[in-house]
Amino acid sequence: MEKVIYRIKRFDGTKEWYQEYEFPYEKGKTILWGLIKIKEEIDPSLCFTSACRSAICGSCGVRVNGNAVLACKTSLDKMLETYKTNKLILEPLNNFKVIRDLVVDWEQKFERMKEVKPWLIPSKNSDKTKGFKQSEKQFNMIANPTDCILCGCCISECGQLSINREGFLEPFIFSKSYRFTVESRDEAPGEHLEPALENGLWKCIRCMQCVTKCPKGVRPAEHINGLRKESMKMGHRDNKGARHAYAFHDDIQKTGRLNEMTLPIKTEGLVSTMGRIPFALRLLKKGKIKPFNMPKPVNGIEQVRTIYRLAQNQKEER
Amino acid sequence: MKYSFFPGCTLEAAAEELMISTKKVAKALGIELVELDGWTCCGASHLQDVDDFKAVSINARNLALAEKLNRPLLTVCNTCTLMLRTTKQRLDEDEELKEKVNKVLDEAGLKYTGSVEVTHLLWVLVKDYGLDKLKKKVKKPLKGLKVANFYGCHIVRPPEIMGFENYLNPRSMEMVAEALGAESVDFDRRLSCCGFHAVFPAEKEVLKITGIDCLSAKKAGAHCVVTPCPLCQMQLDMYQPDSQKSFTEDITIPVLHLPQLIGLALGFNFEELGINRHIVDANPVLINIA
Repeated sequence: MEKVIYRIKRFDGTKEWYQEYEFPYEKGKTILWGLIKIKEEIDPSLCFTSACRSAICGSCGVRVNGNAVLACKTSLDKMLETYKTNKLILEPLNNFKVIRDLVVDWEQKFERMKEVKPWLIPSKNSDKTKGFKQSEKQFNMIANPTDCILCGCCISECGQLSINREGFLEPFIFSKSYRFTVESRDEAPGEHLEPALENGLWKCIRCMQCVTKCPKGVRPAEHINGLRKESMKMGHRDNKGARHAYAFHDDIQKTGRLNEMTLPIKTEGLVSTMGRIPFALRLLKKGKIKPFNMPKPVNGIEQVRTIYRLAQNQKEER
Repeated sequence: MKYSFFPGCTLEAAAEELMISTKKVAKALGIELVELDGWTCCGASHLQDVDDFKAVSINARNLALAEKLNRPLLTVCNTCTLMLRTTKQRLDEDEELKEKVNKVLDEAGLKYTGSVEVTHLLWVLVKDYGLDKLKKKVKKPLKGLKVANFYGCHIVRPPEIMGFENYLNPRSMEMVAEALGAESVDFDRRLSCCGFHAVFPAEKEVLKITGIDCLSAKKAGAHCVVTPCPLCQMQLDMYQPDSQKSFTEDITIPVLHLPQLIGLALGFNFEELGINRHIVDANPVLINIA
């Protein structure tokens, strides 16, 4: 391969267009190397942000062929090989307001982040003269979300955020919420959790884009699981998400398997489920639901119940 | 070729046609599937919201049952695959957790050792069975059929757990389609989510996702969508009429399970594969092919 082409989405504040830049291929380079080369040697008007070149500062998040990456951490060779091409499409991160070319606006994201109070509300069990000691286990609870470098890669392809920018928090904000909700030195976990609950905690569609795209191994989807669990522990169980999760939990204990017939009623209540009658009739007509076919307990259901009982005991010890 | 078979809950109910077509296709290909006796729901990505340890333990039980048979555990549902593989990876990498889980399993007369692999039919076809062999079994090549391969999230993401192929640009579905004589279309939503897991708490948004997925496939010129996951199939098919209400453009497109597409190429008819059980009628687009 002699030449590499970057097809870059440009934006000058009013109009958008794609512009192609061609430059000689060099082995062992990064996506960012190409961007810097274009800016220094071809077109100084191209805008992008970058700083540390070491995947620490989080400022060079861009989309390559539809995938959010840190430009400094991403191998050019690997991307060319993945798509069997010499041409890559570079765009600004999705689900952001674009300022210029590949530069996105973080202001609104930071404002939303403040809603979950991503700071310590110090526990009254200690004070700054005595210090706030944590056990290894307590530290490990917050270690993963603390690795977030605010690069925005988890935001770009989030399946829920892409169609619901107002009613769902950016994945990293759920991680911030979780990090302070389970923080042993914090006095008011609910103040970090409740804004997350009110802003789509149960709307995550489990697309796993956030955990896949995070360049630092942060796992927002798992933090969403953790927040859901904490929310139920705090008593927020009267919502569709919590009831739905419990429907699975209880069915497994009862028979080992999901009962599709009772799932909507358990999740939504009888009245709301009545609204699903046209849907149910559609399925009934095709034999997709069998109203009188109730799952029988699986062979070994006693094992399942034993596991539940022992796990429950362990939970109480935890 | 012998596998323990983990069907998952939907195959006993709304997606029964996937049970029917998987068994037909496996038999015709000479792949022996023995259903895992006593399997339970994998938790479907919901159980861990209530209790993570129960979710791990319940899947450790599923894996321990499979270990007794000493054959790879084959699934046909992306989410079952993810739940089982996640459990396996966590137990294999965390001795302390494994010990804790085994203490619980011991009371139930079981033990997890980590000796059984969890795989998906799609992967088995590509890696274990081989596409050349599959090609030789084709009786009615699907010539002229344009398919939109909708992978579904949990067969590629997260890659450190799934890891069968490059998660940014997987090709296994296209390779199978090609072996069957069909043509794959490229479409924006090939690796997108169907939204199934949040269809209750986020119904409005998920119905929008369904429509966007269907339209993307349709606009790329596909005759049908094909997916290796029953949850994606159910979301895109069963909810399509509801989703249509949010769109002015016609989003109608039939959605097939992967084994149904394979079954058509092996010479089975619509009824044998349960294609007539779908909400969106596949007859108009498939009639010339099958």
